[in-house]
Amino acid sequence: MKDNKTAVSVKNLIKKYDSAGNITCAINGISLDIAYGDFLMITGMNGSGKSTLMHLMALLDHPSEGELIIDGNDVSKLHEKNRIGLRLRLLGYIFQEYALIQELTALENVMLPAQMLDTFPKAKKKAEILFKKVDLEKKMKRLPSQLSGGEQQRVAIARSLINNPRIIFADEPTANLDSVASKHVLDIFKKLNKEDNITIVMVTHEPEELAYASRVINLKDGKLHVK
Amino acid sequence: MLNELKLPFYLAFKSIIRGRKWTLFLTILLMSVAFINLIFVSALFNGIVAGSNQQIIDTLTGNVYIAPKQGIKYIDDKEKLLENVRAENGVTAASSGFQIPGEIERNARTGRWPIIAIDPNEYAKVINVSDHMYQGKYLDVNDEDQIIIGRQIAGGTDVEMNSTSLKGASVGDKLNVNFNGIKKTYTIKGIFYTKFIESDSRAFITERSLASFAPTMVGKATAVNIKTPNDKENSVMSEVKGLAPDTDTFLWTEAAGLMKSVSGSFTSINVLMTIVGVIIAGVTTFIVIYVDIVSRRRQIGILRAIGIKPYIIVANYVILAAVYATLGILLGSLIFFAGLVPYFIAHPFELPLAEAVLNLTPAEYFFRVQIVSWVAVISGLIPALIVTKTKMLDAILGR
Repeated sequence: MKDNKTAVSVKNLIKKYDSAGNITCAINGISLDIAYGDFLMITGMNGSGKSTLMHLMALLDHPSEGELIIDGNDVSKLHEKNRIGLRLRLLGYIFQEYALIQELTALENVMLPAQMLDTFPKAKKKAEILFKKVDLEKKMKRLPSQLSGGEQQRVAIARSLINNPRIIFADEPTANLDSVASKHVLDIFKKLNKEDNITIVMVTHEPEELAYASRVINLKDGKLHVK
Repeated sequence: MLNELKLPFYLAFKSIIRGRKWTLFLTILLMSVAFINLIFVSALFNGIVAGSNQQIIDTLTGNVYIAPKQGIKYIDDKEKLLENVRAENGVTAASSGFQIPGEIERNARTGRWPIIAIDPNEYAKVINVSDHMYQGKYLDVNDEDQIIIGRQIAGGTDVEMNSTSLKGASVGDKLNVNFNGIKKTYTIKGIFYTKFIESDSRAFITERSLASFAPTMVGKATAVNIKTPNDKENSVMSEVKGLAPDTDTFLWTEAAGLMKSVSGSFTSINVLMTIVGVIIAGVTTFIVIYVDIVSRRRQIGILRAIGIKPYIIVANYVILAAVYATLGILLGSLIFFAGLVPYFIAHPFELPLAEAVLNLTPAEYFFRVQIVSWVAVISGLIPALIVTKTKMLDAILGR
């Protein structure tokens, strides 16, 4: 069942980088609405602006111009303190390189964001449930270095889910995985989208992965490109 | 909020138990070296000053001494004064000496040095010249024609005042002593060497010997020396003040002479070296923590990306710095108190003034503990603040 409310709304978004006086426009006036319940895939060539757009929508970076509305709130000029709150409670982010803390076990990595809001036992209980969801309950006490790439990415997925976010951003989550591991990750996303109604926004290079999406957009030179 | 507050401790704890053990060990070792550097120099200078001061007390004056008022030559009834002094609380021992002006001659070399008539047994309880016999023996009460002289009088190629000494007098040699016209010949019974020049520039004869050529001086003294525990010398001084007429009472510090300015200089150098030590400790800690934090820059970026508040990340590193500092201080203290201090007690620094051991008061130790702790906290705080202020994506993507 889909929620009619808009999860993310981007209006004329621009992101410029100034490198020693050379201005590069990575995102050049993109406007886009993502509804709750969407499974949106973003494709495009290297340097098309896919990751930059993801970083902006996931509040990891600030736009140069334009409007960014998340869950009905304008967050374009939001103070970092409030952005942290949104990242913690509303959004989940999955990096291409897993981005796990190497000194923490898989379980501790997943529990970490929950410990900002819950007690240790409660966070642990929530994390253990998520490990079942990503089919890793037997390896949750291992360190990231003791897990395969696919397993680390599933830990990263569990971590992104720990505070029950409504939107998950995944930046090429299967780029470093073999086909079996990639399918496993995509199946989890599909299940999360279908069963838990979590909005998924994912960047991919792989055409065969597009079948999982309910909607696909293509970027070229920082702009939406209609094929 | 309480959950949040626990998080920095949790992260620091995990970082310590799961981090690289060698890196942790080397970090703690470096911190301990910085701490030892801070306490060692201070302890050494303290030791030199304390050693020299103790030399004055042990070999020259005692903790407190009583002397005739200016213009008065002697303490008339020394036995009564000694009896009264010994009865006072805190007095460990008391003894007297009668200093006679005299010229010593040997093999046509002459010089004027203080010659002091003593009761050898009682004097040894206050002034420990008897423990520093370099050659021969200490005086006996019944000795009459025997004298003991300091090494600065006897002379020798390694003696500081050799040029004005008797240039190589040794035990058994005869010395002619002229006490303002009264001439007497003594045999050198012993040569003492306290390593404190002023003490080693004196000679001692017995009271019995004094009585043989100046019987009217029996029962008189030019000084009464009092031994007390070092922490009771002030109270003893006020107790014994005024026990005999026409006398003044002094602390050993009054006789410190040149050592006063030497001690003052050492104290100034000590302060300077402490400042240098603090800077070294600060820079070392800063580098250690900074390198540690910079190597975890990506991790800090990830923590921020998943919603961990910056103050938690900063607090995590401040706690880590405090833990490094605490463990460094503990290791440094262990090396210092269980290794260096006993070693230097067994093998003291041989200085011209005295033998010095490491000497650090609890107050000085805790002051330096505080310095290193604060420096560590600040050294953890600054780089953590810098890294948490950098752009999140730059930290994560290593740009």
